[in-house]
Amino acid sequence: MSVTSVSTYSMVHATVRALYSMMLEPDTWNALVQARDLDTVFGILSKTAYSSHLILKGITPRRAVYQIRRRLADTYEKLIRLMPEEGSQLLLWLWRLYEVDDIKAVLRGIEARASWEQILLLLYPKPKHALLSLETMQRMVLSGDVARAVEFTRHTPYYNALVHAAERYKAEKSLFPLEVALDLEHHRRLWESIQRFGDLDRKWALRIVGSMIDMDNLLWAIRYRIYHHLSEEEIINYTLPFGYQVRDEHIRAIAAGADIVEIVKSIYPEIPVAERLGDESTAGRGLQALELTLQRRIATQCRAAFIGDPFHIGIPLGYLMLSEYEIKDLTVLIEAKASQLPIKTFERIMVFQSTAYADIAAMR
Amino acid sequence: MFRALAMSKVQLVIPEQVVIPATEALAASGVFHPTLNRYFSPEDTPDHASHWRDWVNAFTSLERRIMDVMEALAVDEGAPPTETPHLIEPDEATLNVKHLEEETLTCVRELENQKQHMAQLQRYVSQLQPVYELNADMDTVRNLHYLFAMLGTIPIANLERLRSSLEHVPFRLVTLRRDQYLATVILFGSKRDAEVLTRAARSAYLNPLNLPEMYRGTPAEAIAALQTGIERTQERIDGLQANIDRLHKERIDHLQLLLWRVRASRTLAQTIAHYGRLRYTYLVEGWTPTSRIPVLQESIDQVSNEVVIEVSPPQLRNEAGTPVALEQVTLLKAFQSLVTTYSQPLYGEVDPTPLIAVTFPLIFGIMFGDVGHGLLLLLAGLLLASRAIKKLRGWSNFGVIVIACGVTSMLFGFLYGSVFSFDDALAARWLQPHVDIMSILLTTVGIGAALLSLGMIINIINTALLGQWGHLLFGHNGLTNLIFYWSLLGLAWNMVPTMLGVETGIQIPQAVTSLLPWLAAISLLATALSEVLENLIEGHRPLVKDGVGSYLIQLPVETFEMFISLFSNTLSYVRMGAFAVAHGALSQVVIGLAGSGNGVGYWAAIVLGNLFIVGFEGMIVGIQTLRLEYYEFFSKFFTGGGAHYRPLVLVPKKEA
Repeated sequence: MSVTSVSTYSMVHATVRALYSMMLEPDTWNALVQARDLDTVFGILSKTAYSSHLILKGITPRRAVYQIRRRLADTYEKLIRLMPEEGSQLLLWLWRLYEVDDIKAVLRGIEARASWEQILLLLYPKPKHALLSLETMQRMVLSGDVARAVEFTRHTPYYNALVHAAERYKAEKSLFPLEVALDLEHHRRLWESIQRFGDLDRKWALRIVGSMIDMDNLLWAIRYRIYHHLSEEEIINYTLPFGYQVRDEHIRAIAAGADIVEIVKSIYPEIPVAERLGDESTAGRGLQALELTLQRRIATQCRAAFIGDPFHIGIPLGYLMLSEYEIKDLTVLIEAKASQLPIKTFERIMVFQSTAYADIAAMR
Repeated sequence: MFRALAMSKVQLVIPEQVVIPATEALAASGVFHPTLNRYFSPEDTPDHASHWRDWVNAFTSLERRIMDVMEALAVDEGAPPTETPHLIEPDEATLNVKHLEEETLTCVRELENQKQHMAQLQRYVSQLQPVYELNADMDTVRNLHYLFAMLGTIPIANLERLRSSLEHVPFRLVTLRRDQYLATVILFGSKRDAEVLTRAARSAYLNPLNLPEMYRGTPAEAIAALQTGIERTQERIDGLQANIDRLHKERIDHLQLLLWRVRASRTLAQTIAHYGRLRYTYLVEGWTPTSRIPVLQESIDQVSNEVVIEVSPPQLRNEAGTPVALEQVTLLKAFQSLVTTYSQPLYGEVDPTPLIAVTFPLIFGIMFGDVGHGLLLLLAGLLLASRAIKKLRGWSNFGVIVIACGVTSMLFGFLYGSVFSFDDALAARWLQPHVDIMSILLTTVGIGAALLSLGMIINIINTALLGQWGHLLFGHNGLTNLIFYWSLLGLAWNMVPTMLGVETGIQIPQAVTSLLPWLAAISLLATALSEVLENLIEGHRPLVKDGVGSYLIQLPVETFEMFISLFSNTLSYVRMGAFAVAHGALSQVVIGLAGSGNGVGYWAAIVLGNLFIVGFEGMIVGIQTLRLEYYEFFSKFFTGGGAHYRPLVLVPKKEA
């Protein structure tokens, strides 16, 4: 523990600890899962830290999710402000993951001729540091043309990748190359921002953000092979050559047609992997399970950041990722309650199953 | 000057057919503060409200479209018109906007397309330049029998990935040119591996050069044709740009006026949507300063004599929602912002602006007494107030405060004999704070006691104005509390200076001194029993809210707290003296650091040290002054929380 790290992270640590204590308690989660209907869910949420973001008048499931996400956007804004330059850059790039999703949603909306009102509720709320305001995104949608919409990203780091990939969009009329280019560009920048740290911060950034990059890269490679039937060269080009535990050789092996289950087991010997991953007809649930397992694994890494030396970037990163998963689970829960799905159906697709919440509480 | 303008409640009954001109007249008068009609809320007549809300939505959308046209023609919104524009019907505005869009946006889109085309042609040239000397038809190269060749651009970040993805296939990737993000490359391989190479190139985002038919041939021929294409495109761009420039000149006034008219119409529709409604009439409620009622009446009379105006007598006391119109002479307006930053005064209570205009610079000057430092502040304040620097125009009010602080700093600088940290530059007319420490500390405590007393007197006036007689007599900053405070001060006057070895020169007569303990005891008892006595006088029952037992437990605690708070509030002002001492000490440090010599280093240390004092200590003293005003002085009398007076306006007034 160095004096620099203490002075750098003391404020951040205190803030995150306070925020961490406001995460949903296991009892609250149980009550939410067991809630009879959506109104009960909103009633419970209105007594939690989300209350200040929920506007119950005229609330709909979509609106509720949008409002809940606002809390995450506000937290990012707060922590980015408190962090030193390098840390704030990493947090910014982590936040931009949502911005990248928003750009994809806008482009898909344009292709599907959706209205701005339909697209709006799919987007993440825009904090001050957002590169593209809601107004700009609305203009993108109103332009009604993908290539024209790309021009609105001119002053963002995504522009070069998008405008170059737009050439392929024009030729192929598919958003796939645009979306992949955007993902790769974003993950490259995210990876670069990790490399700027010193030892301790880099270790934690790799454990949390590196693991997330690993998960995305691995799942991309598997999906490209199983569902898109891409060639070896294409899979290699559409994935990342770097990672924390997922190495280039793992991606290349998947691209070359090696047994996916064996590769996943070799990367993560401690996690159970469904045996049917390699077959298109049966891989769906196996992949979903793999994704959830990897997310839970990241959540464990995030919680581990709160144990021991508290003055490192793992604390804010861990909290932000856990918050994201909490909101993801709330989204699943709200949509499930709106569709009146039985508990068994939706509980297993939540990152934190009810048993996992007890673990979180125990670690707080 | 010490109170907000007296307000009168105004109710208007407006016949349906004149609702628009009447509302325009209300706005034109500039004195009517509308409120939501309490008796006939818009929900009761949804059709009426929804009609106007539809108009609001239509105007909002039209405003956005006008702004798009303005942006395309590089027209700014301009200053608000001097005369309030009349309402424009949404249909008429829509026709106008459509016409503007047709003539403008078509041209702008075409310009964008041409610019994109130009960029594309330039990209082609840039890609072809590295193979300029190749004396072969591009199509021939592309259609070789045994060789695969692909010329194109690829993101530099993808180059290595492309190379590594092709490790099982023989290939050659030649980089011809590298720009910031893209590289121009040519990929060679066997025709047999064409499919693998194509898929790999495509997935690495190698965009092949696909020259249109007219630009084919050898690279040199293609470049020549492209240059001609670029020239032609440039001509088209120039033509379109000239057209846009012409439209800019011709339409600028029309666009700006239309924008303001649509904005004004939106505000108008929004206002009417909040009116109450009967079958043939609209019911409007609001507030107007009593002295401006004739202005309102005249404004309405000009448009219709069918509007009924009912004016209530001037409001005497605060009622929920009574807006507060503060009117101060220009010089005091800057200090008014210090008050409103804390809170808007409640209707009927004393506006402390004139007081803060005196006490703020006074407190600042005591803490920051130096002729030179004050002069610098004065100059900085004059610069801000003069609005000479465009970027600092928003700080002009702050400039007035800085000027006042600069003047008092100079004044106290003369009293302390300090100029730019040199405490021997002038003879001290009063004292040197860092030498006569005890005198300055006791003096500032005395000033604090005077300010707190003033605060309590204003509180007594406020409670009298609000008719809270119980509170006036026994409240925590009421009359009995003031007597208690003064009794304590009287007792302290004879004791404390003697204990500290300071001579005041004024002795309170023995007859008064002997009365003081009695006065203190009686007033303390009255203040301690304030809750019961206040309720008794104001007729509130029960006399004790939460039971006698609970009251008796609270009584000593609250009395002790009141005593401690009076003591700490008074002592808080000692910081004025402490900062005056610190200012002197800091000045000594600067002189000490500068050393003795007379060279560049000496003067550099003096200049930098003085700048540091003015910038850093000046800021801290400013904050401490504000703290004393807000937390010690204001807390004695100021309730705040009043509603802002916001008269209806359709377009904002031009900035003076």
